[in-house]
Amino acid sequence: MRDVAIVSFATTGPLPAVDDTETQMLFPVISEAIERSGIPRADIGFTCSGSADYLAGTPFAFVGNLEAVGAWPPISESHVDMDGAWAMYEAWVRLQHGDVDVALAFSSGISSRSDLREVLCLQNDPYYLMPLWADHGSLAGLQARAVAEAGLVDEVVDTVAAPPASDGAAAVIMVAGDRAREVCERPAWIRGIEHRSDPHYIGVRDLADVPSAQVAAAAAGVGGGPIDLAELSAAHPHEEVLLRRAMGLADLVEVNAGADPLMVAGLAHIGAAATAIHEGRAGRTLGHAASGPCLQQNLVCVMEGTP
Amino acid sequence: MAEDTATEDPGAPVRFMPQLIGLDYTIKTNPVAAAFGAALADGRITGHRCPSCQRVYAPPKGFCPICVVPTGEADLVEVADRGLVTSWTVLTPIQYAGQKEREDYALASILLDGADGTIGQQRLVDVPLDEIRMGLRVEAVWAPPDERVADDRGYGLGSAVSGWRPTGEPDAPPSAYQEHTL
Repeated sequence: MRDVAIVSFATTGPLPAVDDTETQMLFPVISEAIERSGIPRADIGFTCSGSADYLAGTPFAFVGNLEAVGAWPPISESHVDMDGAWAMYEAWVRLQHGDVDVALAFSSGISSRSDLREVLCLQNDPYYLMPLWADHGSLAGLQARAVAEAGLVDEVVDTVAAPPASDGAAAVIMVAGDRAREVCERPAWIRGIEHRSDPHYIGVRDLADVPSAQVAAAAAGVGGGPIDLAELSAAHPHEEVLLRRAMGLADLVEVNAGADPLMVAGLAHIGAAATAIHEGRAGRTLGHAASGPCLQQNLVCVMEGTP
Repeated sequence: MAEDTATEDPGAPVRFMPQLIGLDYTIKTNPVAAAFGAALADGRITGHRCPSCQRVYAPPKGFCPICVVPTGEADLVEVADRGLVTSWTVLTPIQYAGQKEREDYALASILLDGADGTIGQQRLVDVPLDEIRMGLRVEAVWAPPDERVADDRGYGLGSAVSGWRPTGEPDAPPSAYQEHTL
């Protein structure tokens, strides 16, 4: 495997409800990540974005978002309809090919203009759950109860807080090999990055367990050394409980959990975990992203400050 | 499930399940589009001139996507309400519920004088469909002031301009539009 590191990160953080277009919101974030890397924009060999047009209700918004990148002369780029963490994963794979050394991964989400409970119903299977309009908040409630009944938390949670509805954007610059050492004093070297998925249909899952997070964490090498800081995409307290158990982080003190804003949270958590290494606050960190209802899909990225 | 007749017997009638989905969205007007719309209501078409490459974007975006620099009020320019046709399509309306069109009509991309990019899907009026051509010079037919509703997101002229009609001037030469055709 080729050594690849995150050398810069920028994000808006959660915004309550932007007036800007998604492209306008992305524009300063991408520029900031590039400027912080010290690498000329023209040196970026691959660009990958993550977003969902259903959120703001703008068809082909992901195409328009490229206007915030600087896509002329034409660039090599791709898009995933997922959290930006998966865009970052694709960029990491692309860097493994060996012919490009610098990649940009970014993501954006505007959730404030729709009813997320309705919109996210569309990610359910179309035969059994979608016709019920089983929204992700209600499904999270089922999982919270399953966690309580399994004795993993002390008390039953009867209500699950409303899902996040904030807006935001994030971007990272990833660089391979010696170039990363040249531009960054303490690159956040990606030691392992893996993603796995549990079955799409909720009914066949044990909601008190997250096997996909467990397998992804093991494959990413989480257990290969002590983790100083874990950044987890957990929208609800019971999700943090499940993720800690699945990844072997039950006793870790330094955990930042939250899943706000949608499509951005995972990349933002990974970026925050990388920043802790850049700033010398941690030596080995974990960034996590989740997608789908009830922690259906999980991505784990382990980073280290030492080459 | 394994005994599902639809998969076991290819001759069985296909069963359909209607699944009607409607999603409601709040559309917001961004500040750049709002300023553009206010000018339209006043009978003016505005754009932003990129401080780096000098290209004029009308409607303005708030940035230059080629130079990747932000643009703002300091870069505001007014462009003409006249220009030339760079390309067009004649549409033959199919009748369905809500369809208001009855006759063939033309939508064109128009390069406004003073702008460096075209505005798309503009209605051509007062011209026979078989006389539309690249380089045809046209001018805006403004809607009455109280009917000028700008596009919420600043993608186009909304209802401020009801159509574009030939000015009667000589056609623009190909050099005027060769960089703006698709």
